[in-house]
Amino acid sequence: MKSKQYSVKVFETTITDEKKFMEFFDTNYALFKDHLILIQGDLSNSIRAYLDKKSLKFLHNQTLPVGRTRKAIEEEFQVQKTESTVNQQIAEAKIEQLSNKLQNNLTVLDTMVRSGRELDIDGDLLLLNRVNSGATIHTTGNLIITQVVEGALRCDGNFMMITASPKANIIFHGVEVDNELLENKLNRVELKNNEILITPVIKKEINWAL
Amino acid sequence: MGIVIAVISGKGGVGKTTATANLGLGIAMNDKSCIVVDFDIGQRNLDMILGLENRVVYDLVQVMDGDAKLKPSIIKSKVNENLHFLAASQSKDKTVLESKKVEKLVKELRESYDYVILDSPAGIESGFEHTIEFADAAIVVVNPEVSSIRDADRAIGILDSKSEKGRNGEEVAKYLIINRISAEMVESGEMLKSEDILDILNIKLVGKVPEDRGVIDASNQGKPVILDKKSHAGQAYVRIAGRLCGQKVDMKDVEISDKGLFKKITGIFR
Repeated sequence: MKSKQYSVKVFETTITDEKKFMEFFDTNYALFKDHLILIQGDLSNSIRAYLDKKSLKFLHNQTLPVGRTRKAIEEEFQVQKTESTVNQQIAEAKIEQLSNKLQNNLTVLDTMVRSGRELDIDGDLLLLNRVNSGATIHTTGNLIITQVVEGALRCDGNFMMITASPKANIIFHGVEVDNELLENKLNRVELKNNEILITPVIKKEINWAL
Repeated sequence: MGIVIAVISGKGGVGKTTATANLGLGIAMNDKSCIVVDFDIGQRNLDMILGLENRVVYDLVQVMDGDAKLKPSIIKSKVNENLHFLAASQSKDKTVLESKKVEKLVKELRESYDYVILDSPAGIESGFEHTIEFADAAIVVVNPEVSSIRDADRAIGILDSKSEKGRNGEEVAKYLIINRISAEMVESGEMLKSEDILDILNIKLVGKVPEDRGVIDASNQGKPVILDKKSHAGQAYVRIAGRLCGQKVDMKDVEISDKGLFKKITGIFR
């Protein structure tokens, strides 16, 4: 494609008195012969004929794009440039946050979770102590608790490992888990084909009679 | 420099005030100077249980507000001269307490007594928080039933997070008293076992107090049950007071009733 770009000077006017208009063009012809004439409002045939005779190029009732100064263009370019750097910085920060989350998403706690405490954990949780009645734990990741749970658990991770906890209120991906199914010393709860699967990790302790 | 002990429970009616009165007297009987302070503003009870009802002139709030001096506000016990008492206000409510004033009072008391025992109000509102804020140790009183245990658990959680020691990362010493244990009900499995309670609360056991009909009568008469040498509950408080004074007192198993013991003995001969 072959193209050319150039600026044109435009003289815009509205005709009220045709005679005065023609007189004005007669006297200032030298000035306006290189201009594009833009006429807003009525345009009579006599004026058309007059402009054709003078071989002036004209447009009738058009809206033309207004050109800007070089300075304005440079300013806009600068704004675009800063916007794009800011966007890039935001994107970089997001990626960093995400990688941090992937690296440090395991929380390890060895304190008792007493009644009234609400833990909301973004990531995985390994809890090495008991959860008392009246306490609530919510994790977005996996949940492993090595002691008895009597409070409420809500886990949205891939799996949970829970001891036999007859008094706990356990919700895994929005589904209540039947406590009676958690009969082994340590049980694994996971979601497979939209069904909750409970498998023993450590079976019941056997007391050998000596 | 004395030690400040807050007596807390979470739930009401488990025997906090009775325990405070008896332990105060028990510590005094061990020749230590002791003051018991009723922090249950608006619901003053300790004065009645100590039998000092008619001697209260100034109260805790008046002392803290500077309307009364500390020395003349302190009441000496008729029973034991080592035991002193500061009453709560009966007309005001718990919201009048202010952290700074409580700190000043506790500091003054700590300097002049070996043991300062604060009787906390039930619940976990501001009154409770002010009582525990400057305590070195807490005695948690529970009954062997689930609601009392859960409320105590919550109270311990607040003690750990809101007391001055807890905020500074130090641990507040916590001691458990299991009150109103009915041996027969424990034997028949109706009542929670002490081991289960200790598992849940995970604090040191300082004593078990059996259910005793004499406690109510003793409170009504204003003579703490610890004065009754024959009472089982009174003996339990003597043992706990001894432990709090640093003596080594063996744990007595109050969870075996006389009937149960009798059954065991007859079982041997059968």
